Amino acid sequence: MSLLEGFAVAAQPMYLLFALGGVLVGTAVGVLPGIGPAMTVALLMPLTYSLEPTAAIIVFAGIYYGGMYGGSTTSILLNTPGESSSIVTALEGNRMAKAGRGAAALATAAVGSFIAGTIATVLLSFVAPYVAAFAVQIGPVEYVALMVVAFLTVGALLGSSVLRGLASLALGLFIATMGFDSLTAQQRYTFGSPFLADGIDVVLVAVALFAVGEALYVASRLRHGPIKVIPVTGGWTKWMRKEDWRRSWRPWLRGTAIGFPVGTIPAGGADVATFLSYASERKLAKGARKKQFGKGAIEGVAGPEAANNAAAAGVLVPLLTLGIPTTATAAMLLVAFQRYQIPVGPQLFENDSALVWALIASLYVGNLMLLVLNLPLVGIWVKILQIPRPYLYAGILVFAALGAFSVNFTPIDVIILLILGILGFFMRRFGYPVAPMVVGLILGPIFENQLRRSLAISQGDPVALVSSPIAAVIYVVLIIIFVLSFWMRKRQSALEAETTDDLEDDVDDGTGTPRASGAPGGPDADGTSGTAPAASGDPVEPVEPVEPGDPGAAAGVPGAKSAHGPDTVSGGAHSGASSTKNRKEGP
Amino acid sequence: MSTSTSSPTGSGTTAAPGRPIGELIFALIVISVGVVGFVAGASIQTPPSASDIGPKAFPYLVSGMLVLVGTGLVIQLLRGGTGVPEEGEDVDPNIATDWATVGKLAGFVLLHSFLIVPLGWPIAAAVLFFGAAWSLGARPWFRNLITAIVLALVLQFVFAGLLGVSLPAGILEGFGVFSG
Repeated sequence: MSLLEGFAVAAQPMYLLFALGGVLVGTAVGVLPGIGPAMTVALLMPLTYSLEPTAAIIVFAGIYYGGMYGGSTTSILLNTPGESSSIVTALEGNRMAKAGRGAAALATAAVGSFIAGTIATVLLSFVAPYVAAFAVQIGPVEYVALMVVAFLTVGALLGSSVLRGLASLALGLFIATMGFDSLTAQQRYTFGSPFLADGIDVVLVAVALFAVGEALYVASRLRHGPIKVIPVTGGWTKWMRKEDWRRSWRPWLRGTAIGFPVGTIPAGGADVATFLSYASERKLAKGARKKQFGKGAIEGVAGPEAANNAAAAGVLVPLLTLGIPTTATAAMLLVAFQRYQIPVGPQLFENDSALVWALIASLYVGNLMLLVLNLPLVGIWVKILQIPRPYLYAGILVFAALGAFSVNFTPIDVIILLILGILGFFMRRFGYPVAPMVVGLILGPIFENQLRRSLAISQGDPVALVSSPIAAVIYVVLIIIFVLSFWMRKRQSALEAETTDDLEDDVDDGTGTPRASGAPGGPDADGTSGTAPAASGDPVEPVEPVEPGDPGAAAGVPGAKSAHGPDTVSGGAHSGASSTKNRKEGP
Repeated sequence: MSTSTSSPTGSGTTAAPGRPIGELIFALIVISVGVVGFVAGASIQTPPSASDIGPKAFPYLVSGMLVLVGTGLVIQLLRGGTGVPEEGEDVDPNIATDWATVGKLAGFVLLHSFLIVPLGWPIAAAVLFFGAAWSLGARPWFRNLITAIVLALVLQFVFAGLLGVSLPAGILEGFGVFSG
């Protein structure tokens, strides 16, 4: 079977090393605020030209999966309100950490991610060849329909504003038309400049929007003061108690069942999956556990984290079989394939089966590596979280400049990088999502080609675009997805408001610390009772550095050691909603 | 179309004065890109041999989308529907925009682009890192300087020396490990 051949390739020591490097880099950038997997793949693209395709694709796959793991560590341990899209996930994990249960939250996230990632990769291995076999039969008209779906879901559904998403998408499509037209070799929008004759490089735009735009935007409103990481306590072998396992395994499986299909259809990727999983876990919880939601329920970490990783694998199905990316990271992976002249699409499983199965096999390997590495290495991730922000963003700028320069080895590209970076800055400032622009830029040329081919076949009759049965079905599904998404967005904001209210009540009454209000109750199974809550459970404790030698943080985890020092605080009972204020009071 | 009005949740998004003006300008830029698309698109040649809709149609479609969406945004802004600035772990929504730092960072990137060829990539990169770290408030300066030099040399070594990316080594040209 071809998957076994894939394993034979992926298990070669050299490729194992590449996979390891990929997952390590991926986790590190996932942990770091301000850097995501999409940006990392974009940055590394020009720098990996010397690698052969298989090695490069394995590195990028490792980054893709690693980034998913790293993000959960940040939201659990960092004492700041994260991005609003992940707020439901971050909420429970963050509250668990503040109640001294950070280790359990990290463990359920890691194990859940592993289980979900593995099951979803198995599903990917079985589903993808069938989808590819089906996809071979569809023509340009159906492709146009699928790409319209991808454009609209990425552009209109993922942000808070439909119009801003569409504007971002249109800007990306506009840049995509610059340069030579691939069918007639006519110059379009080059304004007589030789630098624009080949268009603006996708990598340049992606690096500018993701990296430079982000650095400038953060710099404009940089949060000053120490970086507050919630210390992890308790030995890592005792990270999950029996009860935690009992409460986690069902959410893991449910999260996988929700995440994979949602990732497969172009419905918004991981964010939607995590939200659906969180909502269903909250609904299924009973009695005391239901009350725990919003205060650190382990189910609320286990389910969404599993859904997140399962969706990440699901996203690869349309990417590998149809060549249609539904997230920004998947779009960057598509660019990586294009750079290596590997045509992604229905033919991929036939023409480059060795490569695609090596990629899938490396996903299994990477998942296992992530599980083995993540729990023991949490101390390193905590250290990475504490990199001084001026150095972090200065480093991002240097890497961005390096990536831009390496595209064509001309300093002009660095200037274009800066101009597009300033555009990215204003887009963030005014609430325009940048991902649709990148997806539009990457899919734009493919879309135009398929559109023109469809119309050439129909001799210019646009009705042909909707009259094919498959295309018609796709458009109907698109309408259904849209209606569902508006309903879901309403639910999501209602849920977020509700959860935030819970938290505010919790703080208002002054007694509702995570511990007192029945967060992980029951007998304290591990012998370290007392020390963990002492580190973080005091309701009136002001935000202040943990002194070295504080008994709470000293309980020999590798993580606890590095969580020490003047940069850490014990979280106390501050809710996510009020932590912004607390930060300002810090030294 | 009424989505963004309900979005500012919680305390975070206190509207900085003058932001709607900036947003209006941005929306107008979106429209003007579309207009430029129509104007400049008129000069795109359609070869007589073209059997399909030709190279003009898609640019016109995109330009039309830009004008439509931009107009929609202007209307939305005039009705008070402002955008929600992006959130992030390192972003403090309660402080005013620090334009000086943004300007300094942009300036150092520009300076970097002019230094690569005459001085070589490592020096240009060290200048960029040092300047950016200083702009963002890292002190003391000698620690920034040492970090910048070490980072630039490590990157030059890894990417030019090991991976074969042809970064100009500048004054380090003589050392084989640094040249790509």
